[in-house]
Amino acid sequence: MSFSRRLVLALGGGALATLVSPGRPWAGTVETVEMRGTARGERIWFEPRGLAVSSGTTIRFLNHDPGNSHTATAYHPSVLDRLRRIPKAAAPWDSDFLLPGQSFEVTLTAPGVYDFYCQPHEPMGMVGRIVVGTPETPGWEGPSADTTDIAADSLAVFPAVADILAKGRIGGA
Amino acid sequence: MRTALLLAAALFATASFAEDAATLEKSPPPAPYVQVSKALPLPEFIPGLGTLFVNPDTLPAGPFLAYDHDGKLSATIYMVPLEDLQGGKSFDGLAVGAPSVTSVDIYFNAGHAGVEKPHAHVVLFHDDGAKERLAK
Ligand SMILES: [Cu+2]
Repeated sequence: MSFSRRLVLALGGGALATLVSPGRPWAGTVETVEMRGTARGERIWFEPRGLAVSSGTTIRFLNHDPGNSHTATAYHPSVLDRLRRIPKAAAPWDSDFLLPGQSFEVTLTAPGVYDFYCQPHEPMGMVGRIVVGTPETPGWEGPSADTTDIAADSLAVFPAVADILAKGRIGGA
Repeated sequence: MRTALLLAAALFATASFAEDAATLEKSPPPAPYVQVSKALPLPEFIPGLGTLFVNPDTLPAGPFLAYDHDGKLSATIYMVPLEDLQGGKSFDGLAVGAPSVTSVDIYFNAGHAGVEKPHAHVVLFHDDGAKERLAK
């Protein structure tokens, strides 16, 4: 951890805005979503599986699972021909396989609900949801209503948008 | 004549088995075994499983040969999809990397590159220290 980061932590979140914003008004926030798994791979998941961010936030998908590779892949026709579950205005992404310790970044600007999955582990419920902005943000697009291109088990893993907005982050295995 | 041929065949079989065991003992095992991490997006050393080699023709079950950090054969591993078992498929007469087995672990795995479907890992450890050497 850098000294300035320690300082910021010591001073608390309020100080962060004061310290960082004036000098770096263009810099977007980075939020990390980790790929996790139990030691023997009995269970795997995204941590958090629900996250609220503001427009322009960079999401860093980090494979924190020492024994397995994972992907973070947007539901979109242009990637593996899936039905779209991200805002129409958003660019789809696919991290491809990340080995332990590897990461992939995507910056989300279009406001709305983004659902993503891990290619090999989607059937085991390794999916997640990021909400950019709020329903009041102009151009905001709500969650996909589709239930035909996704397993009910996976669908059940997505937290409700209202819960994500209320809590900011939903996780815990 | 017939007896001699049978005897020769038996001797040959014994010799080749012994040779196999000896050549598998140290990494890398000979073809058709391939290093899993070179063919698939998986770490070179998987905690708990070590460095894996498999004959692709035997997928998904294996045997997977598991080597420790020093290249010593430490375990033979089978990966058995639950769906296959439930569907009535059996996996019989699978080869073993070494004749001595000191303990066996069996546990569930949700899937990984190479064996994507939920499956059981059946891990045959070949000596008392093997599990610890493969741990990390
Ligand atoms: Cu995964």
